[in-house]
Amino acid sequence: MFPAGRSMRGLLIWSVLLGAVLGKEDFVGHQVLRISAADEAQVQKVKELEDLEHLQLDFWRGPGQPGSPIDVRVPFPSIQAVKAFLEAHGLGYTIMIEDVQSLLDEEQEQMFAFQARSRSTDTFNYATYHTLEEIYGFMDLLVAEHPQLVSKLQIGNTYEGRPIYVLKFSTGGNNRPAIWIDTGIHSREWVTQASGVWFAKKITQDYGQDLTLTAILDSMDIFLEIVTNPDGFAFTHSKNRMWRKTRSLTPGSSCVGVDPNRNWDAGFGMPGASSNPCTDTYRGKFANSEVEVKSIVDFVKSHGNIKAFVSIHSYSQLLLYPYGYKAEPAPNRDELDQLAKSAVTALASLYGTKFKYGSIIKTIYQASGSTIDWTYSQGIKYSFTFELRDTGRYGFLLPASQIVPTAQETWLALRTIMEYTLNHPY
Amino acid sequence: MWGRKGMNEHCDLLFQEHFFPQKSQNCCPGFRLGSFKKCLFSFFFFFLIAVNEWISFAPCGCSNPRASCRGRTTQPEEVGSMPGTELLNSKPRIVNPKKECQVDLVFTTDRYNPEEGEERLGKCSARVFFRNQKPRPAINVTCTRLIEKNKRQQEDYLLYKHMKQLKTPLDVVSIPDSHGHIDPSLRPIWDLAFLGGSYVMWEKTTQFLHYYMAQLSSVNQWKTNDDAIDFDYTVLLHEFSTQEIIPCRIHLVWYPGKPLKVKYHCQELQTPEASGTEEGSAVAPTELNNF
Repeated sequence: MFPAGRSMRGLLIWSVLLGAVLGKEDFVGHQVLRISAADEAQVQKVKELEDLEHLQLDFWRGPGQPGSPIDVRVPFPSIQAVKAFLEAHGLGYTIMIEDVQSLLDEEQEQMFAFQARSRSTDTFNYATYHTLEEIYGFMDLLVAEHPQLVSKLQIGNTYEGRPIYVLKFSTGGNNRPAIWIDTGIHSREWVTQASGVWFAKKITQDYGQDLTLTAILDSMDIFLEIVTNPDGFAFTHSKNRMWRKTRSLTPGSSCVGVDPNRNWDAGFGMPGASSNPCTDTYRGKFANSEVEVKSIVDFVKSHGNIKAFVSIHSYSQLLLYPYGYKAEPAPNRDELDQLAKSAVTALASLYGTKFKYGSIIKTIYQASGSTIDWTYSQGIKYSFTFELRDTGRYGFLLPASQIVPTAQETWLALRTIMEYTLNHPY
Repeated sequence: MWGRKGMNEHCDLLFQEHFFPQKSQNCCPGFRLGSFKKCLFSFFFFFLIAVNEWISFAPCGCSNPRASCRGRTTQPEEVGSMPGTELLNSKPRIVNPKKECQVDLVFTTDRYNPEEGEERLGKCSARVFFRNQKPRPAINVTCTRLIEKNKRQQEDYLLYKHMKQLKTPLDVVSIPDSHGHIDPSLRPIWDLAFLGGSYVMWEKTTQFLHYYMAQLSSVNQWKTNDDAIDFDYTVLLHEFSTQEIIPCRIHLVWYPGKPLKVKYHCQELQTPEASGTEEGSAVAPTELNNF
């Protein structure tokens, strides 16, 4: 039950809000009543009410002609008395606003939310963790600021219906050889999505400034999927900070989610993943059962020209290459090992952060159905997985103050891999 | 990793006095000491981190018999940015393949909350023995150059006093919060929780399972009386090979100089068909002085 003029109400709300802000008044429990005075006598009665100063009534629309609605804000202590009065004198009324304070709170939130939303990627705060909405907003800002370099592709929708976006950095050409980077496939690994945001900005800053990156983008494209598991990410904000998997429902189980890094078609079903839907390494009922995974699979296959694939996780400080599902060394294992060594050396050059490197199975544990085992099987020779900071002190809860240093050092490793890929076409 | 500044590094004299050549039947030789158990316990945790690091990064031999031992992983090297540990050398040795696993370690230690630019202090050597993939590895450790006893006791007592001043009931949500932040005033709570957590982690560690403490997720009760701090809380442990997050309810009682008491119950993983809450195994309360 609101007044016909929405702007009128808006103005009233604003003035109350201003009053609240300036006078620091509290409107908890206050109600706004709309009184209908049928005739002059009734209008008079309402005027009597107006005169009772101790009630502290605030008339938004004062008594006037009979039939004209009378709107009044009634402070909580006066509500009973006012209603009793109105009823005793046969004055009809409706409750327009049940609780003024909650309405104010809502409006304030929206107001501040609007203010908090960055106007440009230069004012965006890279040293803090963001929500899904903020990251998606950032992407749009970046594209708007660099339309010649950056575009946003939607490669699918999540289980819960959220769009899945990939940023494409390209200086032209047609289906150029490309590099793929993804972050946030495991939703609780927050430093990765945060680093992805930083990488996106970095690319736009360095093109035309940094010789290496410029050379790379002059011949190749970069695809960057910042939030690879949007449902999981939203869940880490709303309900469970430690959520890892997707949010798909498994028929026959009350447990939710599949480990997207066990759902790829490489060694699927072999040791190194769980068949129990309640575990954090549940592989899913079949390979690519997760739309978040299938979307990337479809993209990679239809693109057909991806030359390096990097999937980013945290934590442990590792740089890994295939295989995870079997102990047999990858055919170009020596090359991968050398490249990994160069990459971690570059990484360490900035802050001294030490990374170990090696194949997945030798360096951490056997893992089947993992991302880079599949991409490698598709012929993407330079397939790597990172595990970023730290080594367990904070783990997934890496302090926000470490986001930018982590992103900066990781970027040096990525640059090394990208440059190598550029110089070793195949 | 030792626990808060006073609790750390109590153990050099103790170990030298009480460890060698004392042998014992139970799996943890030397840990039948009276009032110094709390330090052993924090020491263990620290040590456990060193062991964890080794196991994560050098799976040859004990936890991954199929893989060959890579030269790199047995060379002296520093372990990441993990404070308090510098793994100088590690030599895995399979005693009986898949049944027992013995790891020799050499490492350095420093304070749990080191000051800027502070030098690394203690030097330790240890032997960790896993039997038949069971948890609670037996540990034999010697350290030198740790902080001297009087100073340690002093620091312990300061910590105790500091914690007594915290207002009760504690208005505490998760530590660290989602953004990895720990309010400086809440730091001691985290440290004490970590101490209890380190004991639980040691009890659960096997050659295949190793843990980190991910978060102090709730404080159920915090009482201080003249004798002790009584702390009932829940932590989330992160087990690395399964990637599971395991909530553990811990009840800890501490007073400097007195035996530390720890009871805990960790939540069991849900079976595939399970729907409701789970009853855990590992329910039996354990006290440090029952070693």
